[in-house]
Amino acid sequence: MRRSVSFAVLSAVGLLGMSALTAPRRDLAADAAQKAESAEVKIDNFSFGPATLTVPAGTTVTWTNRDDIPHTVTSSDDPRVFKSKVLDTDEKFSFTFTKAGTYPYFCSIHPKMTAKVIVQ
Amino acid sequence: MSLKTTSQEALPGANQSQLAYDHNRDGVDRRGFLKCMAWAGTGAFCVIRGGVLRSYSMSRLAEMDPKARAKEMMGELSFAQISDSHMGFNKAANPDVAGTLKAAVDKINGLAVAPEFLLHTGDISHLSKPEEFDTVDQILKDAKPKEVFYVPGEHDVLNDNGQQFLERYGKGSKGAGWYSFDKKGVHFIGLVNVVNLKAGGLGTLGPEQLEWLEDDVKQLKHSTPLVVFAHIPLWSVYPEWGWGTDDSAQALSYLKKFGSVTVLNGHIHQTMQKVEGNVTFHTAASTAFPQPAPGKADSPGPMKVPAEQLKSVLGITDVNFIRGKQALGLVDSTLE
Repeated sequence: MRRSVSFAVLSAVGLLGMSALTAPRRDLAADAAQKAESAEVKIDNFSFGPATLTVPAGTTVTWTNRDDIPHTVTSSDDPRVFKSKVLDTDEKFSFTFTKAGTYPYFCSIHPKMTAKVIVQ
Repeated sequence: MSLKTTSQEALPGANQSQLAYDHNRDGVDRRGFLKCMAWAGTGAFCVIRGGVLRSYSMSRLAEMDPKARAKEMMGELSFAQISDSHMGFNKAANPDVAGTLKAAVDKINGLAVAPEFLLHTGDISHLSKPEEFDTVDQILKDAKPKEVFYVPGEHDVLNDNGQQFLERYGKGSKGAGWYSFDKKGVHFIGLVNVVNLKAGGLGTLGPEQLEWLEDDVKQLKHSTPLVVFAHIPLWSVYPEWGWGTDDSAQALSYLKKFGSVTVLNGHIHQTMQKVEGNVTFHTAASTAFPQPAPGKADSPGPMKVPAEQLKSVLGITDVNFIRGKQALGLVDSTLE
C-alpha cells in the first residue's frame, strides 16, 4: 500500500481537517506542500545513487530504475514505511517523507542493494 | 567455506576445497573473457566418482568415438536441467528469450539418451506475469520429457511473495514450495531460497524449511544419492553480488552423512562447479542471457555478447545417474 502524502492530500487535510489540526501545524503542512521539495535517486548497476540521501521533511523522493533488470524500493523497517511494486527498466516510484528520521531501504529482489534516506 | 577461484580445470584429486572446474578464468580482459565464455559455452560432461568430479568439455565429447560417448551418457536415470528462462525479458542481451528456450527444448529432444524428466531451477518468468509463465508452459510442452519439476527464482515471486507460483507449480509442496521425490533410488529435494529476503542479506531458506529438510532426510539410508536443487547457489559463489545463501551451511550439515550429494543451482547465468567433501555443486547456464563472471563487471546485470556468440553462452544441463557407482554425470550443452 502506498502511504505517500501527495500535495492534493495535504490540501484536503488542510481544508477538511481544520477542526482536527491546530493552526500552526496546518501552516507547517501548507508550507511543506508549497515548497514541493523533490529529490531523485537513480538505480544503476544494482545500486541506489546516492546511497545516502538527505532531504528536508516534506520532500518527495522519486526513484528511477535504469537497469536492464527489475528492482524494488522497499523500506527495511518493520513495519515497512514504503514498498514499491516491482520496477522494470525506466519505471519510477515516488514517496513523500513527512517526518524527520532515518529511513533505510533495500531492493527486495536483490537484498544486497541497500541505501537510506535521512529526513531532517 | 569461501570459494577460491582458480583457473585449473577439474582434475582427479584436485584440492577439494578449491573450485575444481572454473569455466571463467581470472585475470583476463573483456575480449579474453568473452573468448572464455564462448569456450565455456562448449559445455562440459562431468562425472563424480567417489566424491571426485571429473569433467570433459563438450567439444571433447563431440570428438569422442560415438560408442564411447554413448557409454558415457548411459545410466539408469538421466534428466536435464534448464534454468533462468526469464520469459518476458526483451533487452539487448537477448531480445528473443522464447526463441532460445525453444532451442534448448530442441537440444533436449535431440539428446542421444532421452532424459526422463526436466528440472527448472527458477526464474521461469522475468516479471512474474501470468502470460510469461503461460509461454514457458507452452514451449516446454514440446519437450520429449513430459514431467517438469520447478523451484522458484526471485523473478517468479514478485509482488505476491510467490502465491501465483504456488498455485501454478506448487501442488503437493510445503511452505513456499519446497518438496522432495524419489526416482530410481535417487532422492531429489527442491528448496526455495528466494522469499522473505532480508536487507543486506543473501538467499534464505528459513527455519521452517530447514526443519523440514532435516526431517525429510532422516529416514534415508546414507547410501542414497541425493540431488538438491534450488535457484540461488547454496554455496558462496560471490556474496558481494548476492550469489550465495545465508543459511545454506545449516542445510548442508544435514546432508553430511550421505555418500553422494549433488547440488544444482541457477541464478548466476553461467556454469560453475565445485567439489567439497561429499558434495558437488553445479550451476547451470541460463536459456535467456549470460551474466558476467564474479567481480568481472560493475554489476551482475545482463551481459551483452555478439549475437553470433549468444547461443554459445546459453544452455541446458543433462544429468545422468549411474546406479551402483553412486555417480552423477553432468553434461553442459550449449544451444549451438
